[in-house]
Amino acid sequence: MASVLLDRVFKTYPGGFTAVKGVSFAVPDGGFCVLVGPSGCGKSTLLRMIAGLETISDGAVSIGDRVVNKVEPMDRDIAMVFQNYALYPHMSVYDNMAYGLRNLKTPEPEIRARVSEAARILELDDDMLKRKPRQLSGGQRQRVAMGRAIVRKPAVFLFDEPLSNLDAKLRVQMRIEIRKLQRRLKTTSVYVTHDQLEAMTLADMLVVMNAGRVEQVGAPLELYERPASVFVAGFLGSPPMNFLDGMIEKPGLVRLSGGGELAYDPAHFGPPLGAEVKAGVRPERVTFAKEGAGLSFALELVEELGLGQLVHGRVAGNDFTVALPASHNAPSGETQKLAILPDAVHLFDRKTGARL
Amino acid sequence: MEKRATFSNKFLPYLLVAPQLAITLVFFYWPASQAVKESFFIQDAFGTTSNFVGLENYRTLFADPYYFHSMGVTAVFAIAVTFASLSIALLLAVQADRGIRGKMAYQTLLVWPYAVAPAVAGVIWIFLFQPSLGYFAHLVRALGVDWNPLLDGNQAMTLVVIAAVWKQISYNFLFFLAGLQAIPKSLIEAAAIDGARPTRRFWTIVFPLLSPTTFFLVVVNIVYVFFDTLGLIDAVTGGGPAKATETLVYKVFQDGKLGGDLGGSNAQSVILMIIVIVLTSIQFRYVERKVTY
Repeated sequence: MASVLLDRVFKTYPGGFTAVKGVSFAVPDGGFCVLVGPSGCGKSTLLRMIAGLETISDGAVSIGDRVVNKVEPMDRDIAMVFQNYALYPHMSVYDNMAYGLRNLKTPEPEIRARVSEAARILELDDDMLKRKPRQLSGGQRQRVAMGRAIVRKPAVFLFDEPLSNLDAKLRVQMRIEIRKLQRRLKTTSVYVTHDQLEAMTLADMLVVMNAGRVEQVGAPLELYERPASVFVAGFLGSPPMNFLDGMIEKPGLVRLSGGGELAYDPAHFGPPLGAEVKAGVRPERVTFAKEGAGLSFALELVEELGLGQLVHGRVAGNDFTVALPASHNAPSGETQKLAILPDAVHLFDRKTGARL
Repeated sequence: MEKRATFSNKFLPYLLVAPQLAITLVFFYWPASQAVKESFFIQDAFGTTSNFVGLENYRTLFADPYYFHSMGVTAVFAIAVTFASLSIALLLAVQADRGIRGKMAYQTLLVWPYAVAPAVAGVIWIFLFQPSLGYFAHLVRALGVDWNPLLDGNQAMTLVVIAAVWKQISYNFLFFLAGLQAIPKSLIEAAAIDGARPTRRFWTIVFPLLSPTTFFLVVVNIVYVFFDTLGLIDAVTGGGPAKATETLVYKVFQDGKLGGDLGGSNAQSVILMIIVIVLTSIQFRYVERKVTY
């Protein structure tokens, strides 16, 4: 068991490209940390630096209370699950799981005990242990990759987009299994994904990355409810948050650039008058008003999800989506009025993107 | 998804494979069948008449101790060349795969020897190892070895092995390098995390995963040694001294072309053909099963 600490970590490639620009965060012992961000944001590079597969250009990575910058991957007491599973194709499932222990010269009876323990946890039967990886389905391979990681009882698990090669249904199932397994083993984990839903559901601690920097660190719900920047607000949540440009006309009221006004809660935001802002509203926090004055919504398309409906349209010149629960009837007619409560409105600085 | 072409015209497929079939028939099956036929005949000294003698040529061959000697020479030659050229090529490919500086230049230079004609390669090595003039011969003598491949059969064998290996390394290198590059990097990384040091990683992960390439190269190299080394041996040693480097294919050439014993020579080439067919099919049948994933 160990914590993972990153202190102003940089990664610069020989060509001069800087993939990771001064990242710092700490994963507590037994915590499940998810690094999330779009492709090319540096999250995988960061994970590979923790694993020891990439050198660290500057800063320090510590596992437990030891700085591991110069420590070989094999001596870092970690196990990694790769996106393509990286199972050894010429070895049986059993040998795949036993490989790491054999390298440590573990006695064969103990290897057998630990592999069968892992196989039991992951519900891999004896017949499967004899097979070669190519004779397994995607989900089974995923389990073997997990098994290979847990037999070694490492201090830290590293996951590099382990579910992205699975189909949607299996992905949800394996996501739940990974979470249960981690709860049970209480092993510190760092998990990389570009899927915000996976990130939200798995993490104790979410690190949102963008262009080599950390945008925000915190508990998933905290990030969802109080995003620190436009980027985090737009990245977390599906469908994503709606944004409307405007200007602070008076405390509690935004005058929208495309026409219309939007009330916000001045107790939470205190921008100066006349400030140029980006107002954000989550699709599920909006409903359609029966009557009265509200922002006018030009309906374009209704998507029926069964679980609810997504109503797409335009508000004050911007794309806008409203998510309705199943109990609501889909609106009819081309123009609707929106009902938005002031405490559903987030305000961000239009230039810096920071929460106001 | 691979799509299969279908032809509505019945004759079009035959027409399309006809050129390949024609070449195979004219240049491979026809000469081979001629060799089989000729091996049952003996020609007179002037080549005017030939008489059917049944298996007489084969009987003579198997009563000839030199023939078995030649088989032994071929076996030693084949094993030495295949083993040495494969191991050296693998070593070079592993180095090249590590992403060293000037990789392209290194790879290009390594491929050049393959473009050298066998006889020319032979001549180069003769010069280098010529007992009285050769540069390497001089070096070897300085080390206290009584170097004279013109008299010492083992030294002559060493010389042709070196020349053949030198020729074959380029080819093997290219295939090994391609094979190494086809191994997913994540497997090596997984093994590194799993606690395998570089040497152990090579023998437990890389080498087993390369085995389809190795297997293919073993087949190709053995066929090379059996047939394509004729020019090289002829240039370097002429099969000597005292038949020390007379391989099966060289003996076919020696007895048929120079000795004028066409029937006997054809019988030898039929046997050579059978040996290679048997070796190759054994390799494909028993070895290939273990090396595919």
